[in-house]
Amino acid sequence: MSRDEALMKLFAEDNKPFALEDVKVVEIAGENFAAAIAGSLLAEFGAKVVRIEFDDQAKNISLFGAKVEGCGIPYLVESRNKEIVKFSESAKELINSCDILIDGMKPGYLDSLGIGYRQISEKNPGLIYVAVSPYGHFTNKAREFANVPDSDLTAQAYNGYPSIIGNPYLTGKYSYPLRAGIWAAWTMAGLNAACGAMIALIERKKSGKGQFVDVATHDALAVIHTFPTIVGFLFGKSRTRYGTLDYIIYPFGYYRVKDGYVALATPTDPDFRALLKIIDRWDLEPDYRYSLDRISDDPERLKVLDEELNKTLQKYTVKQLVSRARKKTKGKILGRLLGAPIIVKLNKLQELLNDPHWRLRNSLIKFNPDGKGILIPNTAVKMSETPPRIFKILGKEVKKS
Amino acid sequence: MTDYFSYVESLFKEGEKRDPPLKGLKVVELTHFVFGPNVGRILAQFGAEVVKIETPGEGERYRIATIFGRFYNRTNLVYGIQNANKYFIAADARNAKAREIIFELAKRADVFVENLRAGLADAMGVGYAQISKVNPRIIYASCSGFGQYGPLSKVPSFDVAAQGVASLAVKTGWEDVEEFYKLPDYFGDFLPSMMVVFAVLNALYYRDKTGKGQYIDVSQTESLLRFLYDITYFSLTGEEIGKTGNIDPCASPSGIFKTADEKFVAIAIMTDQQFEALSTLIEGLRNGERFRRDRIKELNQLVEDWVAKHKLDEIMEYAKKLGFPASPVLGDVEVFNDPWRWERRSIVKLLDRLYGEIPVPGAFVAMSATPGQVKWLARPVGYHNRLILKKWLGMSDQEIEKLEKDGVIGYWDEQPGCAPPPIWDAEKDPVFRGEKDE
Repeated sequence: MSRDEALMKLFAEDNKPFALEDVKVVEIAGENFAAAIAGSLLAEFGAKVVRIEFDDQAKNISLFGAKVEGCGIPYLVESRNKEIVKFSESAKELINSCDILIDGMKPGYLDSLGIGYRQISEKNPGLIYVAVSPYGHFTNKAREFANVPDSDLTAQAYNGYPSIIGNPYLTGKYSYPLRAGIWAAWTMAGLNAACGAMIALIERKKSGKGQFVDVATHDALAVIHTFPTIVGFLFGKSRTRYGTLDYIIYPFGYYRVKDGYVALATPTDPDFRALLKIIDRWDLEPDYRYSLDRISDDPERLKVLDEELNKTLQKYTVKQLVSRARKKTKGKILGRLLGAPIIVKLNKLQELLNDPHWRLRNSLIKFNPDGKGILIPNTAVKMSETPPRIFKILGKEVKKS
Repeated sequence: MTDYFSYVESLFKEGEKRDPPLKGLKVVELTHFVFGPNVGRILAQFGAEVVKIETPGEGERYRIATIFGRFYNRTNLVYGIQNANKYFIAADARNAKAREIIFELAKRADVFVENLRAGLADAMGVGYAQISKVNPRIIYASCSGFGQYGPLSKVPSFDVAAQGVASLAVKTGWEDVEEFYKLPDYFGDFLPSMMVVFAVLNALYYRDKTGKGQYIDVSQTESLLRFLYDITYFSLTGEEIGKTGNIDPCASPSGIFKTADEKFVAIAIMTDQQFEALSTLIEGLRNGERFRRDRIKELNQLVEDWVAKHKLDEIMEYAKKLGFPASPVLGDVEVFNDPWRWERRSIVKLLDRLYGEIPVPGAFVAMSATPGQVKWLARPVGYHNRLILKKWLGMSDQEIEKLEKDGVIGYWDEQPGCAPPPIWDAEKDPVFRGEKDE
């Protein structure tokens, strides 16, 4: 049996159990999708997640307003395995008896309804209360901004993220901070909340007690990424837009070539040298400015090399570059030590969808609400004993294709 | 009744504190750069004992990867923080005896994490099949660019490569500039690493019930795809959204605008209620198909003109009073100096035994009863050889010295990032000598 076959057998879903099938979760997320994502992740791993709603606002949020069965796309995707109900007196019973409560509402709102941590934990000390909000549920700042609703873009901004995205050589409007093209802050915050909930759940097995877990979307990226703290401390000067350059590894980005774009990374110095060989620019090698010195806090200094690389790379096709980079490592036991750049094609969405690799791995699933098959990202995790999986979208069963 | 925020604050400040949640959990990692190492970093914040295996001499290659080439007290803070709270062993995996030691450590571990090329750990004799045979309780996580099986599984990856393959990169940039930008700070490593953490915690929860370990396969690309809503949009409409500049296609109006005092503010209107709030301020802001691409641009123009006439502070006052999402766009220094972050302890001052007082990011999440901790920065290559070989494998000083002599285990070379600070003295360091824990 090949390694691939053995692994596919190991990861086969069959009728395996879920890791969290004995865990009850209530999600009251409103239109905060970071909180909804936390609920979805727990649901993928089999927790019984009930989403309780006060209104329909979350349903209306969608990419350019696109709807499926009256629901926006984020709502649809994050409805996985959830039971969705309207808030009512009977829902309170559920809230009082759950293991994990995810609160994505305005800080203090659930407390004002008598279903905050303060009230529930009195009757149910095992409760794990996971709050997701812009600035958290404590500190003066949290109190001051309690009325400002959350969004991914504003969270990105307060994490300092858009300030380092973009091309440092562009001017005018193009020198503005730039948004990361997905919900970068909300997804990270959602994962942080889900991981926090799990740590508390594991701890509860020992202590029998729950606790308050607090996630601030406006800090979720910075605290994980660590760089703003390090740069603030070491340099006392903020980084500029490093979208085409980098501050640790260079080159490290997307380059236009003869027939498209490639992603190019040279994680170490030998990798950079190997790149120069691959693109026949060994003439740059003796120049001291391009050895380790090519990492600089002065973009102007990098400009010369950046222009040379851009110019040269455009002489090659994607295929040429990819195959030359691979040849560098193939068959050599210590290939990586000799260095080789990592070069792959920059995919458009259509190209990704056409790649049989993702079909083989079931990375996407089909949902057929009215005969039209639409694609939905599957769980991102393969596990041998408790494979996470999706069996329900918008409350409807998902059939295996 | 106390005010809600004071009540929650009292939970965090004066509430009951309990033992670290992952105390006693043994983790072994064979990792490099960011994706693999961040898993151990997060688990170690909550009490796991994480042993990292490196090559003697240079150690892991991320040790010399500093921001703008800057070292601090002969260490690399990027690496140091990425690998805080860990124990460092240097064993040369090209040596059969060293592989035996790695195997013996894995045998005693609860969790094993690797992010080598797919299949390499198997070839080294420390793959899931080999370790689970002697330790069926092992939770083994393999981290890679494209997953452990499938035609792309052997292709080497890195953050930007995975972002490129996932078709995420074609979404970031200006609509009318023919360039694509990465999501910086290695988002393509960090996000997937949190997916691994989540999976490992689930596996631990399951193992507590059943005693069974398991194998986990997480790829960078699939972790990114999980949140790429464009896939569903495309299958519904046949249209690739591509780059939208500062517009969030789920918010209208939405963008980053320049204020009258030359600062930047992000505004993103998600709900109709928020839209109504903003329209009381801006003349001509009318709802009605506000999510259409061309309509978002029209509405943004009105917001841009309005923001240009107001100062950042004024705008934030309106946001507080009326309730719509708005935030200033910060830079690194503002993030670092933000009193709110220090108060939340998402930035804390670490007094490190080797490197002195250094501000570091705190625990990734705030927990009232079991707060996470950052206790020490990464140590030099092989620094904990003696401590861990004694503690985990019960080796004697003589056995360890023999391993050193035979070149099975080793220590740092004199490169910054690998070596101890200049004034460090081995004779005066009982932790290095394996006589005392950190």
